[in-house]
Amino acid sequence: MEKDSFLDSNIIINYANYQKDKSKDIVNKCYLYIFNKQGKFIVCYAVIRELFNIITKLTIIHREVLKKVENNSYNLDKNGLLAKKDLPIAEKLYLANREVNDKKLKELFASERDIFEIEIEKFLKNKVDIKVIPVEEIKAELTSAIREIIENYADCQILASALQYQKDREIFLFVTADRKDLAPNQYDYLKKYFEINYPKENHVFPELYNIMHVI
Amino acid sequence: MVIRKTAEQIKEEILSHLKETPLSTEQIRIKAESNWSTINNYLEELSKEGKVKEIISADKAKIYQRVFGDTYFDLPITDNERKKFRALFSLIIKKYKEANKTPNKTQLAKTAVKVINSPESGLSDLPTVWYLYGAIPLMIADPSQDYQEEWAFEHKQKINSIIEIFMKENHNKKTKQIQKEQHLEYNDKLYQLADNFLELTEEHPWNKDKIFEILNEFCIVCPIDEEFKEVFWLTERFVSTVRKLSYFDDLENHRTKILLTFDSIWKFIATYKFYQTISVNKRFSNKNLLNLYLGNPLAFRKTCAKEALSDLYSVYLSKIDDREIEASPEVQRIREIMQDWTGED
Repeated sequence: MEKDSFLDSNIIINYANYQKDKSKDIVNKCYLYIFNKQGKFIVCYAVIRELFNIITKLTIIHREVLKKVENNSYNLDKNGLLAKKDLPIAEKLYLANREVNDKKLKELFASERDIFEIEIEKFLKNKVDIKVIPVEEIKAELTSAIREIIENYADCQILASALQYQKDREIFLFVTADRKDLAPNQYDYLKKYFEINYPKENHVFPELYNIMHVI
Repeated sequence: MVIRKTAEQIKEEILSHLKETPLSTEQIRIKAESNWSTINNYLEELSKEGKVKEIISADKAKIYQRVFGDTYFDLPITDNERKKFRALFSLIIKKYKEANKTPNKTQLAKTAVKVINSPESGLSDLPTVWYLYGAIPLMIADPSQDYQEEWAFEHKQKINSIIEIFMKENHNKKTKQIQKEQHLEYNDKLYQLADNFLELTEEHPWNKDKIFEILNEFCIVCPIDEEFKEVFWLTERFVSTVRKLSYFDDLENHRTKILLTFDSIWKFIATYKFYQTISVNKRFSNKNLLNLYLGNPLAFRKTCAKEALSDLYSVYLSKIDDREIEASPEVQRIREIMQDWTGED
């Protein structure tokens, strides 16, 4: 029997970004993973919350790019609305669209968001089998323990949800496309760290399936 | 000999202490130099009489706010401001009566704002705020009240002439039109867009492209404020839900729900705008004090807006099916760029 998959938010984002014959390798891989579904798909509420935060972030990126298209001297970095990590994509979007009529661009960006969001919502409605661990039930001490190794708080809450759900269950896959914190060696390190520092808690880790490292 | 204060004297004293700021029972007790249970009993009586209201009730600390009933959210104004407002309202009503008219609430409020914001009136110190229908005096303009000229204005003639000009310019206009023109005059884009959106939803059939054009702009103009993140979040979610719903159903089938949701969100945005105007004008030295007056209304309106949005969103979710959503080549190009982004921090 195929193992169930506990999905990280980046898998769903990549899936929602998929376009036939136009997508890069990692997007294709995430799309195919979901398209060729095996076992059950599990999503935690921290992932759902993260997806909606990402949607809002995208609206803000579009809004800032539109302001720059309207006024070339507008500084994308100025008011701190964009995270440092989002600046390159905002600049790329600006450069690719600076000649487009701003009224038209507003509609194009809005349509792009429509499709992106609809794909995510269709996925959540039609493809997810189980939604687990409400955010308020995530154990704070477990999140803090993970945070000793992984800096990103949202990632820690997602992983904490996975560990909580894994308890007393058959091993499932933790499926991610994270290139940094959840790379296989990092995940192994985290497991070892827990074995040494939190032996009494007896945490069982799901099996990592990092699509970035699948050939 | 110790002279005991009468009940009425104590109540008056309590009201006078609450004139400028809400206070806890304990704070009033100290100011009134009385004991806790006496003050607590009188506060309860005043509360039943509708003269004060409890705004925060923790286990041990009750905070009371004076109910003036003549300002928005019972925000305090000085006695002189109150007199000036009444005198101004009285002059406006008088001018309308001279023309055999009775102003409605909007006409009275908008005329007052026009006077206050005209430098030659010398009334620029009177507080105005932005609220549901645009700029209004902080004191509620009520045409049914018998206002008297309680204040001798230095520039009475100029004030009267501003009122006459405003009446002349607006004599044939409907309330909505007067509001719309005020939003244009003060160049407030958000209010203008709200006007345009509501106007478009009155047409039949709905012009989807025009509605979306206004909503797209609304999302861009909507303030992003770290302190009130939900203002942008609710707006953005509303716009996106309406847009997405259009892929699966005719929007006009959901006219009432869309309008009710917009109304709820607009009430929250307008209360936020009200809060902002008061903050910017620095009427309160301490933000916590302003929060005592506006904290509850803001929280209540946010909850209503969230509930309305959640209702609309469930309608949208119920309509989603498996159909493929076609992207235009231009949108496809944007989606290609976006592949490099997963939005994670």
